[in-house]
Amino acid sequence: MASLIGIDVGGTFTDAVMITNGVIERKGKIPTNQDDILNTIISALDYLQISKAKNIETITVSTTLVTNAIMQKDLPEVELILFPGTGMKLSSLPWPVDYSVLTGVLDYRGRVVVPADQSEWQTLAEKLNKQSVKPLTAIVSKFSHRNNVFEEQLAAYLHREVPGITTALGSQSGQANFYRRSLTTYLNLAATELFQNFAYQLKMAVEARGCRAPIRVLKADGGVLPLAKIRPVESIYSGPAASVLGTLAQSNPEESYVVVDIGGTTTDIGLVLSGSPLISTHGAQIGPFLTNVRSLAVRSVSIGGDSAVCLDQGEVMLAEYRLGPAYCIGGISPTPTDALRYLNLTDYGDLQRAEEALGMLLPENQRTASDLRRTAEIIVEKMVEKIARAIEQLLEEWKTEPAYKVWEVIHHHDDFKFYIQLSGGGAPGLEAALEDRMKLRTVLTEFSEVSNAIGAAMAKPTFSWTLHLDTKFSIYRIEETGEQGIWTGPKKPHREVEDFLKELAQKQAVGLGIETDDLEKEIFDYFPLVENYHTVGQIVKGAMHVPPGVIGRIRS
Amino acid sequence: MNKTGIIFFPAFDWSLGEFHPEREERLLYTQEQIFEEGIMDLPQVRQYSPGVADLFDVLRTQAIFPDLQQHNLDAHLIAVGSSLVLGNALMKKEITNGFALVRPPGHHSGATVWGNRGFCTLNNEAILINVLRAKYGIKKIAVIDTDVHHGDGTQDIFYHDPNVLYISIHQDGRTIFPGTGFTEEKGGPNAWGSVLNIPLLPGVGDEGFLYALENWIMPAVEAFKPDLIINSAGQDNHFTDPLASMNVTARGYGKITEMIKPDLAVLEGGYAIEGALPYINMAIFLALAGEDYSGVVESQKPQNTEIGGDTIRSFLTDLKRTNKAVRPSWVFRKEQFLPAGDWVYSEKSIYYDTDGFKENRKEYIRKCSHCGGTVLMISQKTSAFQKAVLARIPFEACPDCEQAGYDLAETFKKLEKTVLLQNQLRDQVHLWRDGREVNPFGG
Ligand SMILES: [Zn+2]
Ligand SMILES: [Zn+2]
Repeated sequence: MASLIGIDVGGTFTDAVMITNGVIERKGKIPTNQDDILNTIISALDYLQISKAKNIETITVSTTLVTNAIMQKDLPEVELILFPGTGMKLSSLPWPVDYSVLTGVLDYRGRVVVPADQSEWQTLAEKLNKQSVKPLTAIVSKFSHRNNVFEEQLAAYLHREVPGITTALGSQSGQANFYRRSLTTYLNLAATELFQNFAYQLKMAVEARGCRAPIRVLKADGGVLPLAKIRPVESIYSGPAASVLGTLAQSNPEESYVVVDIGGTTTDIGLVLSGSPLISTHGAQIGPFLTNVRSLAVRSVSIGGDSAVCLDQGEVMLAEYRLGPAYCIGGISPTPTDALRYLNLTDYGDLQRAEEALGMLLPENQRTASDLRRTAEIIVEKMVEKIARAIEQLLEEWKTEPAYKVWEVIHHHDDFKFYIQLSGGGAPGLEAALEDRMKLRTVLTEFSEVSNAIGAAMAKPTFSWTLHLDTKFSIYRIEETGEQGIWTGPKKPHREVEDFLKELAQKQAVGLGIETDDLEKEIFDYFPLVENYHTVGQIVKGAMHVPPGVIGRIRS
Repeated sequence: MNKTGIIFFPAFDWSLGEFHPEREERLLYTQEQIFEEGIMDLPQVRQYSPGVADLFDVLRTQAIFPDLQQHNLDAHLIAVGSSLVLGNALMKKEITNGFALVRPPGHHSGATVWGNRGFCTLNNEAILINVLRAKYGIKKIAVIDTDVHHGDGTQDIFYHDPNVLYISIHQDGRTIFPGTGFTEEKGGPNAWGSVLNIPLLPGVGDEGFLYALENWIMPAVEAFKPDLIINSAGQDNHFTDPLASMNVTARGYGKITEMIKPDLAVLEGGYAIEGALPYINMAIFLALAGEDYSGVVESQKPQNTEIGGDTIRSFLTDLKRTNKAVRPSWVFRKEQFLPAGDWVYSEKSIYYDTDGFKENRKEYIRKCSHCGGTVLMISQKTSAFQKAVLARIPFEACPDCEQAGYDLAETFKKLEKTVLLQNQLRDQVHLWRDGREVNPFGG
């Protein structure tokens, strides 16, 4: 029997599970060493005793490696070179990094309006040669997702003129939004070496333990890709995705619910609609960087079981930080966990110490049982209120998603019967209070404390192929891979396009190690291109997805 | 910093026909442009999701004949609904201005509606304006219509309304659909001067438009002292438009927007889906958001020789003189069915170009020095010999005009098959079919 292994690197703890045939065989938590994510993961694998396991099918990690490096500005400098063309001024948007600008204008169909000026390129090459031995260079042109000509020509030129250069092109991800594409290309290139080293060492460490299982990485959109295939930047924010998938693996398919994952200092909230996690319509934002990294629609609130409780002008406040573990399990500061323990809503921790913790928040003459009780209740209420507001915000975001077609608007507000799936180490004891506040049935997920690791272990590989075809110009592009190719089919295609995309998806899926049994087709849009009352071609937009989801369900 | 709201609703699954100018891909390249530019990422921008208008809000402003069920309104209700979403956001002070970048358009759709004309079935701005008045108590609103076509529908709806100033600058009606919008049309007997039409010679470009705005339109708006300004932001004055012959550029539209400073802009026409819309929509949007639009440059260059300089200045000076000299002349009628008071009569014929039929309409307006005056419209779709009647009690109606509205409804429900009473004063609508009051929304 083959086993699935899931590791979720969290801010405080790293969760690990080994699942065989839908049954959790081993599970545990080890402290995360933020300065050494690689060894944290290896320790977690050792905790699961992978060297003794006979048949491991996959190892999936959800890691904060790249997220941390970006947040701590721990990445190498990248030279960002832009072809902004015409339109909005670059200065209208906040750019968190420096850039330089070259001449060249493309229009929205990828036509060259003003050609690039190669005399500028020489100056650029000289500058790069002077600056660094191995410059990292991200090249992005506006509308490069429609035509990557400027990017490719400049890259080819620089590779000839600047020895040791590494280039990354914006068109390698073919989604619209020049600004986000530029920043995403920048981050991805900046994180590549770090991630490759990590990937190599992780693979070596796993092999040294006699394990040959493929290693996969969880993405922000809830999908997984092999360690060697993932774009490093796609590994950011996989934690909340892990929570959502973990819950998915422990609930009935087709249900709709809000996922609430209460950790030590953060609570992640996600939405599942009839068994499918809700994907955000915007790309993920990380620090000052807006990216086009696809992610699940999630909200994070800075509150958790270990959040410090303090006094502000005599009023109990929940801090957005942690001062070690809860007082009732040996910490130094009162926390929501102490309040829950005192109210007997959980049996985690020492009751006597929980009482002491609450006492610290009251003047000595007001530490009666009823005062302590009232204080504990206030802490729980405040915590629940914060979480509830975030749930309401996420539901509102879902209800107010943009829509571009009549049928989307008309069918937008289908009634879903939601309930709440509560998970995470800080979750036990909060069901009743959350249920009461939200007026929604609230269920505690069974393997609440390792839910994220379960999500990672059971995550399905996912991928999307979004096609943009312009038959007048005989060019097709795939958003996710950045592929741009020649269309040889008819000018007014119909079913051919769908078959074309399906074939392409199936072929590329094999290379990514993805099963395409449940390839889902999105509705294709056909736009006739009319000139002088004649249709001269079509623009076709459509997509095939292997949607996010989990392999099977956990059995208790 | 401005907080600018935007709704982008391209209605990618709705069209009037494969070769029709109003077809699915009308906003396709606009989408390509604005998404690639990342305008939704501007810190001062808030994107809203489209809404669906309430049928009551439609009937408060427009009489849909013979009844709502005879029309497929889905796409139109979303275009209206989206304008309303931004209107509500403005009233709640979530935004300081907004752009409803929606299709289908609406400004050719008038007080009585038998079908689609000039690509319009419901009037987005008119319904919005009356919602703002009914729901938020806004008193005075100015509409500046910068579409190349005369917004005859909007003019029709507010022709008798002294609290809505309708200004349209457009290509002369003798050379283009719908053939109206002459400077002699200045409003009804109780609202004389609340309509201002500035028909232009074909070929006028940025300079002429900006001159007219600075020297005529904006002073008129300032004199009116509106609480709100709405821009019917048609984009068919562009030099690449296939249906018109004006010479305005995208940056010209940016400048126009900057001068008008609309609280809300609603997209109207504009059919150069490649040459104009992606650029003009950007320029208007950036101007609303207070951003630099000088980088918005079309890939084509204007080719027609522009009528500028002295030609347009002296043309506009003459036109202004003509406009000033126009004196009202009213035809008073006495009819048995008319309640007490002096009633001004007029008639008009409205052509529905999309479906190819005509509506003939007789119109009576109660002359009143206290309010906008009750209006009676007896409308007939000529091809089908169907008749229907609209009686409208205006916002802030005086007691006599209010009573006149009830009396008209009472009389006509016995005479005609379909009678709609728009009671804007009490914010109610009533519909009678064959003499019996029925639910105007069906069901
Ligand atoms: Zn027009
Ligand atoms: Zn009156």
